[in-house]
Amino acid sequence: MQDPIQGRAESGSSVSVHFVNNVLAAAASYIEEDPETARDVLAELGAFLSHRLRGPRDISPTEELEHVGVYLRLEQARFPGRIEVELPAARDLPSARILPGDVQAPLSQALGRWLAQKPGTVRVALRARDDALDLQLDRPDEPGEAGERLRIPLGVATAGSVT
Amino acid sequence: MSSGLAILAVDDEPRALTDIKRLLETSASVERVATATSAKEALVYLSGGRYDALFLDVAMPEIEGMALARLLRRFADPPAVVFLTGHPDAAVEAFEVQALDFLVKPVTRERLESALTRVEQHVRGAEAAKAGPTGDGAEATVTGPDVVAVDNPKGGGKRLVRLETISFAQANGDYARIVCDDGRFLLRTPLSQLEKDWGASGFARVHRAYLVNLKHAVELRAQLNGTAVLIMRDDTEIPVARRNVAALRRRLHA
Repeated sequence: MQDPIQGRAESGSSVSVHFVNNVLAAAASYIEEDPETARDVLAELGAFLSHRLRGPRDISPTEELEHVGVYLRLEQARFPGRIEVELPAARDLPSARILPGDVQAPLSQALGRWLAQKPGTVRVALRARDDALDLQLDRPDEPGEAGERLRIPLGVATAGSVT
Repeated sequence: MSSGLAILAVDDEPRALTDIKRLLETSASVERVATATSAKEALVYLSGGRYDALFLDVAMPEIEGMALARLLRRFADPPAVVFLTGHPDAAVEAFEVQALDFLVKPVTRERLESALTRVEQHVRGAEAAKAGPTGDGAEATVTGPDVVAVDNPKGGGKRLVRLETISFAQANGDYARIVCDDGRFLLRTPLSQLEKDWGASGFARVHRAYLVNLKHAVELRAQLNGTAVLIMRDDTEIPVARRNVAALRRRLHA
């Protein structure tokens, strides 16, 4: 029987070339007018790639949450003012073994879809629920529009909580 | 083209737009740059003024870049389209909608200038075509997309090869084997069709089995039997059939 972590390794570790190229373009745009921000974007991109390119390995949801935070800051650098973020506290996360990208990849797909649908602000909320994370996306400027909810399971749950 | 280029850059990512605007504004080829953050806004700009080229993102909300490029083809006198995107895989589709060039973000200054040169050539060609045979004598050929999509032997998909990098094509049944700077590729097109498609781009049929890019030829060597050999810049020797020698000499002023 295939190891569930090994089975998810290939898809979870892939990084979107489109995303990387666009982040680099955003970094380039800051170089003249705001070199500190340009440097920060490049440093965050370095952290993002390091997390993903080290290959499949067991990590904690806390590590993945930090990775999600880096990813969202990069998206905010690409789309200033268009993304609001709410992330759970590390202490609320269940203890589990997951792969790098297990949370970021589905979140990225959903956010990309929402950003591409139409202009305006998108709110991304990630909340801890038992052995999973609930991802919710909506448009704060359009309260009448239905949001989207997605449940992201957190791999193999173990007892206890992460501190 | 009496002055510098007028360019409309279209991208929903404001930072990417800032970057390309700055690069375009600091190019000696460009006189005027406008920016739009959506295809709809771009259409408003296009309805109010003349632009030589659009630098167009592929992925945008509502109307995507490819859809806008297709729409522009219905214009009587459409601006050239240069795609500027983070999607390297969109190149084949870009050339299917007759884009003049395809740039991947973030673009280098050198690559951008190369695209602008192509835009200038395109504009000059279009102006000469409008002037007609009684015009100023400029070559009346409109520069089109001069790439060909070949089967990628590594990992499937299509690979784009610029005609200028192709040294020659060799007949291989109903297929043609092309030899270019990046290697050899098989093209599912007979040599006779390539001769028609590439004739205006400097290619000449010198033999039943060879179509040659004359820009890559360095020497025409006559043979005692009335045939000739064309020496390419990589020292490849291409046979020239007896019946093609005179026409080739005329074309090369040799």
